[in-house]
Amino acid sequence: MNLRLNPSSGIPLYVQLVEQVKHAIETGSIQAGDQLPSVRKMAEDLLINPNTVAKAYQDLEREGVIELRHGSGAFVLDSIVAREKLMQKARAVLGTALDRIASLDLTEDEIRRLVENELAIRRTPKQLRKKHG
Amino acid sequence: MAEAVVRISNLSRRFGSKDALNDVSLEVPRGCVFGLVGENGAGKTTLIKHILGLLRAESGSVSIFGMNPVADPVSVLVRIGYLSEQPDLPGWMRVDEFMRYTKAFYPKWDAAYAEQLLEEFGLNPAARIKTLSKGQRAKAGLLAAQAHRPDLLLLDEPSSGLDPIVRSDILAAVIRTVAEEGRTVFFSSHLLEEIERVSDHVAMLHQGKLVLCGPLDQIKAQHRRVTLRFESPQATPPVVPGALRVTGTGREWTIVCNSAQLRQSTMAARFGAKIVEEDDASLNDIFIGHAE
Repeated sequence: MNLRLNPSSGIPLYVQLVEQVKHAIETGSIQAGDQLPSVRKMAEDLLINPNTVAKAYQDLEREGVIELRHGSGAFVLDSIVAREKLMQKARAVLGTALDRIASLDLTEDEIRRLVENELAIRRTPKQLRKKHG
Repeated sequence: MAEAVVRISNLSRRFGSKDALNDVSLEVPRGCVFGLVGENGAGKTTLIKHILGLLRAESGSVSIFGMNPVADPVSVLVRIGYLSEQPDLPGWMRVDEFMRYTKAFYPKWDAAYAEQLLEEFGLNPAARIKTLSKGQRAKAGLLAAQAHRPDLLLLDEPSSGLDPIVRSDILAAVIRTVAEEGRTVFFSSHLLEEIERVSDHVAMLHQGKLVLCGPLDQIKAQHRRVTLRFESPQATPPVVPGALRVTGTGREWTIVCNSAQLRQSTMAARFGAKIVEEDDASLNDIFIGHAE
């Protein structure tokens, strides 16, 4: 994992750490079942307060990204990684699509409106019932 | 709630006509990393001398581990590992002799841990201290301060004048201390990046007065850095009552303020300006803001 934290930025260190761990999962540099370094090792490697690492790990656990196994350590959860893989696939397709319409010079707002429209068309009655339920 | 390892109440100290410390009150909770910042001459070392019992409180009180360090120096000092800014180690001693010498003062000296540190710091036990580089000397001093696993690790500008690699080593040693339960670190520094990396609590001294004290996250969240864009370029900095610092030119001005005292949106509205960027202020912003 290549983590870089900026203590002077406006973003709290533990938030940066949470985001970067999630990103590492997204890019595949850590995978389901992988063990994260212990709080202590992570703190020593990154040269930050162990409490900061502990806070980040707690947040990650709460979000279902990792599992803290008592006595063993922190492990990346499967379901999230699977989800991230799907995201990776979708991102590739979306990226290609955006590249292809780049020459049309649409504004970002216009593109967002298009995406929203397409999503709306595809919403099933079941999803609509859930939304307005 | 963790008990306080250091409890300082209304401490004042004059040297001649100068107020080195002016009504300073702070508490260092057990198990935390407490960073003390301040420009040179702000009173940091004077405060540390009081903690060590080298100065008696002229007015106010100092309590370390619930004890008076002046009345009971041995009981207090045996639980403190102290590293001064320019460690004054006996040049003629070899590193291993220095370790043996220091060990005699501390019943809790852990020989195995000392050996481990010796190896991690890459120090040659046979080397005479006067042959060591500045960085190695700092590490030797840190070894002596840590090897008896002190309840309070007290560091006065530990990274002063050291190259980045040695600074990292020292920071790593501090972090290892913290990771061991119940031990507390108090360090003074003007290297704000270090303070921001490892501190839970921060206090800022300016001309003997405590201008800030509290959990680092809270302090940073309370101070915002806001960039305003004005309709027309401003010839002079906008006057923002209560702002810590105002910088910029022309249409864009950056304001560092305490958001408890100054609401950004109100401020922007008053000027008829737009907020184009908003962040937690960095410790550097806050420091400069209070020091100016």
